[in-house]
Amino acid sequence: MGLISGSGSFSRYQVKGGPAEDFLEGLSERIGRHAFRNLTEDSTQERSTGWVNVMDMFDYRFAALEFLKEPYIAMSLRVDERKIPATAIKQYCLEAEEKIKGAENLDFLPKRRRADIKEGVKLRLLKRAIPGSKVYDMIWNYSTGSVIFGGTNTKLCDEFQEIFLKTFNFHLLAMCPYTLGSGFLEKEGDSPDLIDGLVPSNIWEEP
Amino acid sequence: MQLLEKVRKTEFLGKEFLAWLWFRTETERGNFKLGDKAIEIWFDGKITLQGENERGLETITCSGESQNMKEARFALAENKEVVQATLVFSMDDNQWTFVLDSLWLNFKTFKTPKIIQDKRDDPDGLFYEKMFLIEAAVSAVDDIYAEFLKLRISPEWSGEELPALSRWVREGKS
Repeated sequence: MGLISGSGSFSRYQVKGGPAEDFLEGLSERIGRHAFRNLTEDSTQERSTGWVNVMDMFDYRFAALEFLKEPYIAMSLRVDERKIPATAIKQYCLEAEEKIKGAENLDFLPKRRRADIKEGVKLRLLKRAIPGSKVYDMIWNYSTGSVIFGGTNTKLCDEFQEIFLKTFNFHLLAMCPYTLGSGFLEKEGDSPDLIDGLVPSNIWEEP
Repeated sequence: MQLLEKVRKTEFLGKEFLAWLWFRTETERGNFKLGDKAIEIWFDGKITLQGENERGLETITCSGESQNMKEARFALAENKEVVQATLVFSMDDNQWTFVLDSLWLNFKTFKTPKIIQDKRDDPDGLFYEKMFLIEAAVSAVDDIYAEFLKLRISPEWSGEELPALSRWVREGKS
């Protein structure tokens, strides 16, 4: 369940540069190019990511421009991943190794051969693994440039910023005490450099 | 300087902000005036503090009701810094709960007031109401952070605010 339908965690960003007046034109195609695609059943692809309808994770066609909720662009980043438990790989590898050793009358298998067996086992099990799905809501207020993303994990946030850039051709600036503060100072007509000059206060010192 | 490096170098601002907010909620009953809106804030549930000593990085997590946060106050007085805190915001008879961290000021386990709209009847209505509630809380945190920063870069910080904050911090030992 995403941020809009339930509760959750989120990180914040600011779009660098404002969108052109006609940026809504062609948006459908741009989003379509990075829309979610299902992992095909017998493939060995481990992961698939892309945009889906923020109100319905199974809809990635956006037939009625469901991403447009003026003044927001709202979608969810869906991540499907096939995962095989490490113990299952270990067990299937052991069985495969024993079978080969028996057939070829060997006492042990070289490291390289065992690595090949492991790779083969992994690919075989991947085809059988049912992918797990997760959705992370993204809401971009294009009148203010602020973006909310329903995830806080660093790797996931990097992935989100990358797909945002690929889809909309805009870089995102992650919000933190420094970037937020610089923005406030700029709005007040002060120099953002004032933050660079700050040093930590000693809150334990006797006044 | 790369952003990540800058984020780490200025994390002290997030830590000071959370300590200052805690101080303000306890000394001014958490009442803030943001434009024409009145907001009440209190620290509730979990609070995490960190500090370095000769043994390395020490993390202390305290949980409980706000009036029983003596252990957390003691840890703060013992040179620990607030790195994460659960906050409750009350505005216009609505209540939000979330965890704010010092590194990114990210919102975690964010809960808005309950929405009565039905997703099936009016999905857009639910979306706009939820967005209104999310943006209200985000904008309130931004306004309070801006108030803190304004104070932090002014002479008033070292003249009045910091001595008062330090006194309150040291009171945590008693």
